[in-house]
Amino acid sequence: MRRFTAALFLLGLGVMIAAIYQQMDFSHTTVNAGQLINAVAAQETGAANFVTSVVLAYRGIDTLLELTILFTAAMIGGMVLGRRSPDAPRDPDAGFILRTGADLLFPLLLVVGMYIILHGHLTPGGGFQGGVILAAAFFVPLLARPGSSIDQGVISIVEGLAGAAFIIIGLLAMLDGREFLTPLLDKGELGALISAGSLPLLYLAVGIKVGSELAGLLAHLADAEAVD
Amino acid sequence: MKLLALMVALPLLTAFLLSVINSISTFAARWAGPVVLLVTAAIGLSAWPHLGDTPQAVQWGGFQAPLGITLYADQLALLFALAITIGALLLWPGRGEDRTEEHPDDHSRNRLRRASLALLLAGTGSGLALSGDLFNIYVFYELLTVVSYGLIAGRGTSGSFAATLRYLVISGFGAALALAGIALVYQAAGTLNLAQLAQLAPERLNNSQGFAAFVLMLIGFGVKAELFPVNFWVPEVYATASSRVSALLAGVVSKLALLIIMRLLILVFHQPEALTVLLVLGVLGVASGELAAWRARDVNRLLAFSSIGQLGVMFIALSIPGNAGVLAALAVAVHHLFLKPSMFLLAERWGGSIKGLAGAAKTSPLGAALFVLLALSLIGVPPLPGFWAKLLVIMPLLALDQPLYYFAAFIVLAAAALEANYLFRVVLTLYDKAPAATPHKAHATVDLATAVFLGAGLVAAVFMLAPLAERFDFIAAQATDVSTYIQTVAPLSLESGSVQ
Amino acid sequence: MSMDIIDSNLILTIAAVGLMLIGIGGIVISNHLVRIIFGIALLEAGTNLLLLLSTYHPEASAPIIVDGNVPALMADPVPQALVLTAIVIGVGILALALSLAIRVQRAYGTLDMREVRLKLEQEISAEAGVEMPSSSHAPAGVPAAAVTAAVHRVTPS
Repeated sequence: MRRFTAALFLLGLGVMIAAIYQQMDFSHTTVNAGQLINAVAAQETGAANFVTSVVLAYRGIDTLLELTILFTAAMIGGMVLGRRSPDAPRDPDAGFILRTGADLLFPLLLVVGMYIILHGHLTPGGGFQGGVILAAAFFVPLLARPGSSIDQGVISIVEGLAGAAFIIIGLLAMLDGREFLTPLLDKGELGALISAGSLPLLYLAVGIKVGSELAGLLAHLADAEAVD
Repeated sequence: MKLLALMVALPLLTAFLLSVINSISTFAARWAGPVVLLVTAAIGLSAWPHLGDTPQAVQWGGFQAPLGITLYADQLALLFALAITIGALLLWPGRGEDRTEEHPDDHSRNRLRRASLALLLAGTGSGLALSGDLFNIYVFYELLTVVSYGLIAGRGTSGSFAATLRYLVISGFGAALALAGIALVYQAAGTLNLAQLAQLAPERLNNSQGFAAFVLMLIGFGVKAELFPVNFWVPEVYATASSRVSALLAGVVSKLALLIIMRLLILVFHQPEALTVLLVLGVLGVASGELAAWRARDVNRLLAFSSIGQLGVMFIALSIPGNAGVLAALAVAVHHLFLKPSMFLLAERWGGSIKGLAGAAKTSPLGAALFVLLALSLIGVPPLPGFWAKLLVIMPLLALDQPLYYFAAFIVLAAAALEANYLFRVVLTLYDKAPAATPHKAHATVDLATAVFLGAGLVAAVFMLAPLAERFDFIAAQATDVSTYIQTVAPLSLESGSVQ
Repeated sequence: MSMDIIDSNLILTIAAVGLMLIGIGGIVISNHLVRIIFGIALLEAGTNLLLLLSTYHPEASAPIIVDGNVPALMADPVPQALVLTAIVIGVGILALALSLAIRVQRAYGTLDMREVRLKLEQEISAEAGVEMPSSSHAPAGVPAAAVTAAVHRVTPS
């Protein structure tokens, strides 16, 4: 009975959405806020990648909040999962090949992650994508050796400082008499590695924060006691 | 006015740094949170008089609207930003509640985490109230939701984890629908800035696509506002979370979600069907909430269901077109803002079954007297503020002279009768003779003092009725003044970008 | 040419709405909490696609200037940034949901939504010292206190 009502509900919803899309206008107008940004972003922020301009400059506060969501989720995850009891069974270490592979991957992942973070204002990529790779660099060895663990105290300090750096860069603009999160520094030459003012610095803070946050969260989840 | 951004930035900064501060000095970590909230509350209060003449718009990052994100401050927004900041300060969840079974290391870490969460709640709530961008509202709302998960689960019982997970499921569902609504709006209007949407809405959103977007967002943001079909989490969460957290969620956070819906109605969605949907859901919320409260056998769930009923009254109020609706919703919301936290604080020690409260008035006469006062105001006995708030809802409902609105007025009155029945049952039990050998715990001094402080606010309102009414009239008029909103933000025309 | 545009847009929109419907279906029909959580993830994926499609143009190129070449028609960067934000939010909440599911499974020994609801109801009622409201799901003859005692036993101290 319940499944039947659910199916009926879904069918109704589908019909409703179809009806709405009947009326929708697919004429591809280029009149929207994004095209305004495309027209001025190169002069206003100096970043060659306009998505980065939107993420860090035009909608910088959204990015700060999204970092805060990750921070909060990681913190609550730690609180919910709690402390592992010392006598809980652990998975055995992985075999030789996996362990060596993880060790070899570690520096490679670090370099790739940092590269993607530092080129975020020039090419696709940036703090989030690079940060996830950084987190993987620390998490892959953990998968190969389930007995080892990441020091959560260090992680909480690193993530705290990285998040604070983002806000402090924003506050510096206020000291300068501008609005919170206004990009600072010289914009430089469009497309150069050192350009776009403070945006690469912000992305560096984002990358480190996302990396430490995800590594901490994954380590907590991996460390959770198995149910059976 | 740029300083208003600090109401968001400073609590977030402190929350990030709390564990760093703690590794330097535990004393500083303990006091950093309350001190920062005092500072941000002072910033908000100092901005209050300036917003009397003209609302202010600040662009985050200094980019012209609609490219950047707008922070829009009028007295309505600032009122709720201050409410969440001061509320988090008064109901500081790091205090008073210690779990004994915790590992000692975890104990100090969890206290830090609770303090961080309270700071995040204050900063996020202020930002949500002040935001003038649709997607920014969504992100603030999501952060507020995640913070509330932490506050609820922070109690650490198996029940609180299960209640949080069930709350998470319904919130995740709602948030995704709200995002779909935002996608529909951006598709139709090409902007997310509320001022620009207000400009473009009559032309681009006054159709079925706009209505669908409204319904999706109503369901999404309605989860927190305890809207009728998506509120099953309310009794579970308020019964398992600690009283301070319930007080914050029911008292302040639900009003923030209501504020968002109010803004969307005023600025963007003008379809008459939208008002009908609100009216119907509000009536269902009042009816279901009050009936469930009437059947409830323990105090926490009684308060939770009655809060669903009260929020339903606010939705009914919002469905009244024009200025009168905003005024009525605002009055009921502010009344509830003072009353519900106070009741939840009293329930901290009276959380068990109603029958078990027999004789509790003996051990805590002040608490019992306060409960009577709050109950009378909630029912709407003149001259208490609750009466005037309900009057503001019922008079315009009757004045509209339509059957559906008459029915809503009838439901609100019938709900008051039900409220009287179940609240007097509690009051009578409180003053009943105590059965022997069941000593009642007296209230913790902090809890009682906070509850009395909030109750005193209600009593003070009785004596300041005229200036308060005038102020509320002004706030409602300022909030419904769409052309001032557009002029204050002054977004660039979208057409100027298409010529490249 | 215009026929192609409509087709690609229509297909992508159907995919987005389809993903959303599958997600909602999972949430509404399934009783297993992990499946419900995955339903939410699917729903979010569909919504993100819908958001990307809001200003989709099949001929637009990525809004990036490479070697000083400004493309004639650049895609709207705003939905891309929004989706990036939404994805990260989704990941955080997904991880949190799974952590909570681990704890609920440890405490109640089940991830069936109906059983979790029942046990939660029982725990709340026992803590408040009231009887369960009569429910068709409640096992007959088991006092609420006994059930919660059993619930607490499986909770690690």
